[in-house]
Amino acid sequence: MASPFLTPSSSSQLDELALLHLRRDSTIPTILRLHDDGNLGYKEGNVTNTRFGSFPHSTLFNQPWGSQIKASKVDTGSRGRPPRQQKKRKATELEESASGTPGGDDDADSNKPTHSKAVAASSGFLHILCPTPELWTASLPHRTQVVYTPDYSYVLHRLGVRPGSTIIEAGAGSGSFTHASARAVFNGYPSTSADSTTLPKRRRHGKVCSFEFHAQRAGKVREELVEHGLDSLVQVTHRDVYQDGFLLNDPTTGTPSTSPKANAVFLDLPAPWLALKHLVRNPPSGGESPLDPSTAVHICTFSPCMEQVQRTISALRQHSWLHISMVELQHKRIEVKREKTGLEYEGVRGANVFPRNVQDAVQKMRVVEERSVRFRESLGQDDGAQSDNENTAANEQNTTDDTDLPTFTPSKFNDGILAHAQGRLVHRSEADIKTHTSYLVFAVLPREWSEEDERKCVEKWPSQNVVDSAQQPKGKSKKQLRREAKAQEKAQELAEKEKEDTEADAQTEGV
Amino acid sequence: MHSSIRPNQFVLLRLPSETTKIVQIVPNTLINCGKFGSFPANQIIGRPFYLTFEILETPGDSQSTRLRIVPATELHAESLITEGEGDDDVEVNEEGLPVRTNRETVDDASSQKLTLEEIEALKKESTGAGKDIIAKILESHTALDQKTAFSLAKYTLRKQKKYMKRFTVFPMDVSALTNYMLENRDSATKSMELRDELVGLIGSWGNVHHGGDATLQQTLSKPNGRYLVVDETGGLVLAAMAERMGLLHPDEESEDYEEGNGALEQEAPAQGGIPEEETTKTTPRTQRPSQMSATGNTITLIHANKQSNASLLKFFGYDQNNPDESHPLFTHLKTVSWLQLLDPEADPIYAEEPAIIPEAELAALKTNKRGAYHRKRNRWSRVQSVVNEVRAGGYDGLVIATLMDPESVLQHAVPLLAGSAPVVIYSPTIESLTEITDLYSTARKTAYINRKRDLEEQKQASGEAIAENGEYPELATEFSLNPTLLLAPTLETVRVRPWQVLPGRTHPMMSGRGGAEGYIFHAIRVLPTAGFIQAAGNPCRKRRKLAPTQSTATPGSTTSADVEMKL
Repeated sequence: MASPFLTPSSSSQLDELALLHLRRDSTIPTILRLHDDGNLGYKEGNVTNTRFGSFPHSTLFNQPWGSQIKASKVDTGSRGRPPRQQKKRKATELEESASGTPGGDDDADSNKPTHSKAVAASSGFLHILCPTPELWTASLPHRTQVVYTPDYSYVLHRLGVRPGSTIIEAGAGSGSFTHASARAVFNGYPSTSADSTTLPKRRRHGKVCSFEFHAQRAGKVREELVEHGLDSLVQVTHRDVYQDGFLLNDPTTGTPSTSPKANAVFLDLPAPWLALKHLVRNPPSGGESPLDPSTAVHICTFSPCMEQVQRTISALRQHSWLHISMVELQHKRIEVKREKTGLEYEGVRGANVFPRNVQDAVQKMRVVEERSVRFRESLGQDDGAQSDNENTAANEQNTTDDTDLPTFTPSKFNDGILAHAQGRLVHRSEADIKTHTSYLVFAVLPREWSEEDERKCVEKWPSQNVVDSAQQPKGKSKKQLRREAKAQEKAQELAEKEKEDTEADAQTEGV
Repeated sequence: MHSSIRPNQFVLLRLPSETTKIVQIVPNTLINCGKFGSFPANQIIGRPFYLTFEILETPGDSQSTRLRIVPATELHAESLITEGEGDDDVEVNEEGLPVRTNRETVDDASSQKLTLEEIEALKKESTGAGKDIIAKILESHTALDQKTAFSLAKYTLRKQKKYMKRFTVFPMDVSALTNYMLENRDSATKSMELRDELVGLIGSWGNVHHGGDATLQQTLSKPNGRYLVVDETGGLVLAAMAERMGLLHPDEESEDYEEGNGALEQEAPAQGGIPEEETTKTTPRTQRPSQMSATGNTITLIHANKQSNASLLKFFGYDQNNPDESHPLFTHLKTVSWLQLLDPEADPIYAEEPAIIPEAELAALKTNKRGAYHRKRNRWSRVQSVVNEVRAGGYDGLVIATLMDPESVLQHAVPLLAGSAPVVIYSPTIESLTEITDLYSTARKTAYINRKRDLEEQKQASGEAIAENGEYPELATEFSLNPTLLLAPTLETVRVRPWQVLPGRTHPMMSGRGGAEGYIFHAIRVLPTAGFIQAAGNPCRKRRKLAPTQSTATPGSTTSADVEMKL
């Protein structure tokens, strides 16, 4: 089965995953089905109810991806089912739309005719989107902490996971990383082109070997992958990897026996150092190594705490991993808006009704002063009048004199500019940012290299064989080469000097 | 999945000074690492990547150079020893105060008793790859015992960087090349200061992935995995996409290289890779698929000049001016200029079909004339098919890293996308992207929809036919971009913070690269319905209910009339 994640058709298909996009950060994943599983009694069959209307699946399938779909008039009231959970209506509705179960809140509407009017077909829409790992990550049902897009994109990039790679993932969790890595390794479905004779030698289909020690979560991930058509690319194993390592189960006996031959490893575990003993070239037990013997293996561990990082790195060093590095990722979304400040924005929502500039402020104050002078003058004129009539008289005076009173008109900045283009364009970080997700530890385990390999290599490439004429690459004059060499040398020295300087600084600071 | 260093491949050498250097491993040559020495290329060909080599040589005898692989335990020796000693690194006296502090440190060069001349002399007669020099220098430092553990480690490290004759070989991949470009101030601007973490994010948001193999492409309802790209980073973004699509590293899929005939490889170094359409290595030249002929899993580069600039691809074995026919990019990378896209008839190559010469006449022509004729015909048909394909649209993704105004790019490129296709724009600075985000703001979307509705009503009233595609010239002049074509416009940035993790000395790195922060705009192409749709929900009621959270979360969303319209 082809996956809509990887090779989607041009329109939404029945029995495949589609994402119903309501608004930013609010997407409902749903499998399109005409028949009504829960037998909820809608006339239209299977219906997804959302905050923005009801959408029978018959209106959702066979639509080009990205289409805007109108809500339908769905009779959610008179389906002859006894009303229940009436008080919890709002809560269940929210839950249902979040978890993506179609046809959740239904019966309660019978007592709320006003609500069903609001959800009329004359308004309401959604967009039907083709699933991607990013959209799935944003909408998936949470089981554990999710590895979000900025983290997994960097991890997969740094691990060098490419079409045809094999990656081990331990801690499948909610499956966000699983989906992203399935996309990264994909280079064809293994089942459709099993005919190995047409494939070039050594060509492999990409594969994700996912391990999860929580039985229920493992089952759930497996189920999802089947629904998403990714089951041929991802093999989910229910396993405690600290204890039992990373070999794949034999399909007949069920015992760990086959090596996944992984090129990359991602460990999202509480104690990665306990799993590292299984990720070696020659396991002390004499068993097979789960790593690909012909390539270097990249690893990444994902741990929130510094203590975990330190233990992991110590274990990595003991197991001879190289180029160990640790980074943390700081990601933020930026909000763009138009900031409107000016006295002319009286009554505009979100605007600062405040002088735009000093001129406006001065002008406004002049007007106010002038007005109060006039006001006092008018009071003076009325001095002879009775005291209890004073206020009303003054007011009357004011209103009648309004025409010749000075009025303030703000400077004309927005003439001819449409409302949506007024104000200053500003940006800032979104209100809630994730300041820490986890520390990412990266390392590389080079391919094994024996004396025997070295001997063979020396034979093939006689070491002292240097042809003088071949030293210079073609197309460059000697002069140019000299100049380049010089420049490089200089740049290097400069860089070193800078480095030494900064280090000396650090030292004097006593760090 | 680079398994070993291949002849004629580009690799990166990391030197003890932490600088990197790109070199091509040409067999039978000498590779020069500047002051760190030189070594014959043959001594690293065929060896695994990521290893650190030490240059051992007897002074004055260049023939004696030998490389030694430094084992991991030796590289980690210092850390492993410190770890073994336990965590209480800081020695304390009976009062609980540290024995060694930097209070007495004399901050001048007087404590080093070796003179510059003496060090130079040492370097000349050194045989131990710099280790003996470092030992000597440490020996003759008078105040060594006063140093704290930290400053001693730092001092040793500094000297190691200066005198160790070591280097590490890294394979050439997009990640390494991105970092290499950034290290150097001149090249950084050429690659638009693109940082590695953003490369990953661009690929993810762009949903760039392999479109399935050739056999699969035939069974699909449409060609899959076609991406549009506008890349002014010299080919770095292009390379990143190609890497994700399995098009960049030609040899990944046929690694029977080492076992093959050594002599043959030296003659035809770049012939190692086989694009997936081809079945055998021995296919005669004429049967090779022609340039830009792939239907699926392709990248189409739109360029602003007559020639596209993707010069960085040369590091991956693909030279644009002289493309290697066996490289996957030969068939899967298509290029088209903006002129060809927007006004193909103005492009002479597209518009002027070379006259067909009958077979009989052709046979009579001289070989070079015949060759020229075929070349011209091929070029014309290639340009025809590529340009027509692009103009037909239906692409699966759009990635932009441009020096031009992104608005103008979106105006022409967004309509070429299929529904649900992602759009990603990278920019080193934020300003151009805030403008783009604003062009897709909710307020502007609402204004566009309302204006369109007004026009429709006007047309209806005056009895004119409503444009079927919903396009009005008045609308196009007022709104250069149709804001309803993109959904969920988002602006974001990501930054990696590297840490030093040494036993007892864990902290974020003290210095890093400044410069451009780097931002990404992404959105999804959607197909708005032709008719007018009103947003659902009662905004006023909802707003009041959610007031406390809403007002803090989206204080900027108040500009629009309808909150629920916010897409």
